[in-house]
Amino acid sequence: MEAIFDFFSNPYYIQILTITGVYLIAALGLNLITGITGQFSFGHAAFMSIGAYTSSLLTLYLHTPFFLNLLLGGIIAALFGVLLGFPSLRLTGDYLGITTLGFGEIVRVVFINTKITGGAFGLAGIPRETNIILVYLIVVLTIISLYLIKNSRFGRGLVAIREDEIAAEAMGINTLFYKVEAFAVGSFFAGISGALYAHLIQYISPGDFGFSRSFEILNFVVIGGLGSIPGTVVGTAILALAPEFLRFVQEYRMLIYGALMVLMMTFRPRGLLGGVDLFQVWRNFRHKGLREKI
Amino acid sequence: MSPLLEMKNVTIHFGGLTAVNGVSMTIEERQISALIGPNGAGKSTIFNIITGIYAPNGGHIYYRQEEITGKKPHQITGRGIARTFQNIRLFGELSVLENVKIGGHCKGRAGLFGALTRLPGVQKEERLIMEKARAALAVVDLTGREKELARNLSYGDQRRLEIARALASGPQLLLLDEPAAGMNTLEKQTLMQTVQHIRDLGITVMLVEHDMSFVMNLSDHVDVLDYGRKIASGTPFEVQQNPAVIEAYLGKEPLDLETD
Repeated sequence: MEAIFDFFSNPYYIQILTITGVYLIAALGLNLITGITGQFSFGHAAFMSIGAYTSSLLTLYLHTPFFLNLLLGGIIAALFGVLLGFPSLRLTGDYLGITTLGFGEIVRVVFINTKITGGAFGLAGIPRETNIILVYLIVVLTIISLYLIKNSRFGRGLVAIREDEIAAEAMGINTLFYKVEAFAVGSFFAGISGALYAHLIQYISPGDFGFSRSFEILNFVVIGGLGSIPGTVVGTAILALAPEFLRFVQEYRMLIYGALMVLMMTFRPRGLLGGVDLFQVWRNFRHKGLREKI
Repeated sequence: MSPLLEMKNVTIHFGGLTAVNGVSMTIEERQISALIGPNGAGKSTIFNIITGIYAPNGGHIYYRQEEITGKKPHQITGRGIARTFQNIRLFGELSVLENVKIGGHCKGRAGLFGALTRLPGVQKEERLIMEKARAALAVVDLTGREKELARNLSYGDQRRLEIARALASGPQLLLLDEPAAGMNTLEKQTLMQTVQHIRDLGITVMLVEHDMSFVMNLSDHVDVLDYGRKIASGTPFEVQQNPAVIEAYLGKEPLDLETD
């Protein structure tokens, strides 16, 4: 008990848990795009940066209230999701992946070369507004929204697109429109995550949201299990927390990520919790328990 | 009475190949029509044109007197034309029930907003989709198998699930692309009854099939294609007597046959 209290009174651990929550929001958004709808996106961090810069600039220059800026960060990111989505979601697989990769780089380069965003130096002095309670409140809201989406007519349409796009279209699903919508929602969560990040770290630069960040978030989702919401939570928790608690691997983080990816694809290609229905596991567990009692 | 579906002079080229060449045909309401022909005659291509997967290079298609040429597949399904695929295209990782519920997509309207708010209207719609899904499963006799994964079903069951999924969209015209392929005799007989049952429900059926006894016993009307052209049309009996059809399937009679 005391150990738990010590843990939560240590500001360093609190900071790590908070940042993990921030990444989790972005990862859940990516899970909607890549896991549930089956569309590659290698530029997710770019949407985080759009949210981060939007909310930071609003706070620094217009002094509008934080919650408004947070929301606008998400909405502007979603708008860019739609702008990117309409032309590029006509593509599939590798082609879509490369397009999103290019988009991520364009966003980064634009931020480097724009005066108001502070160029390569980035923006400093962003007031700290993010705290652990707010972050995990939004995490819970994100998880609930994802579950509501997944178990709805809209969500069934998204899963159908992942499973077989031609058949989905033949079922009367407007696949392009649905994919763009999923992209917008996923980007919205990335934007929210970016805004929370900016108001937590208090300093942002284009380098924070490069390709390696996009790849890192994709890793969280893939390791956890594409399409699985608990999987994303577990994947993010393991991959975001492990380097912090295992300091000695910090330098080799990307190396270990790569190795982990290869191992996962070989031994458990669907991720830790991919294709696992936790409710079903729980029911089986309970039934087994009952049977043993009899 | 005007036909349910009318094709006028439909042509499509793939590079230098004319897969469908000036085909005109009509589908009468509440009938079972078959489209037959040797391999590569353009039967599946015609299905893909009707359902909007291919846009024809020439010609027009009318559904209930409205032109549907060049419309997107989802728009055509929304108007009441549903289909199955020659190479089964189920949502393999999803359950039988989920597959059929996706088929009922057209029966609802709720989008993202509906998903997040779960208003009473949305819940009512979900119940309607569920009802349609269960009814469709009952037609193909897959009731009780709802929770199984589609990819785990036997080949024949997968074909029947595809029919159920198409039925769940509430079509007036159902296109079946080789529904009996890979089925054994018993399964074929059951399928025949199912298709008749679907017709009795008031749904017009158009099918592509290679199994001749299946086609001849089931159909009210048969169109025959060969090398992308329509070579015959009529009742099963008329088509069987047609020399052009016999030639397409069996080749020309040798000239020296009579001298024997």
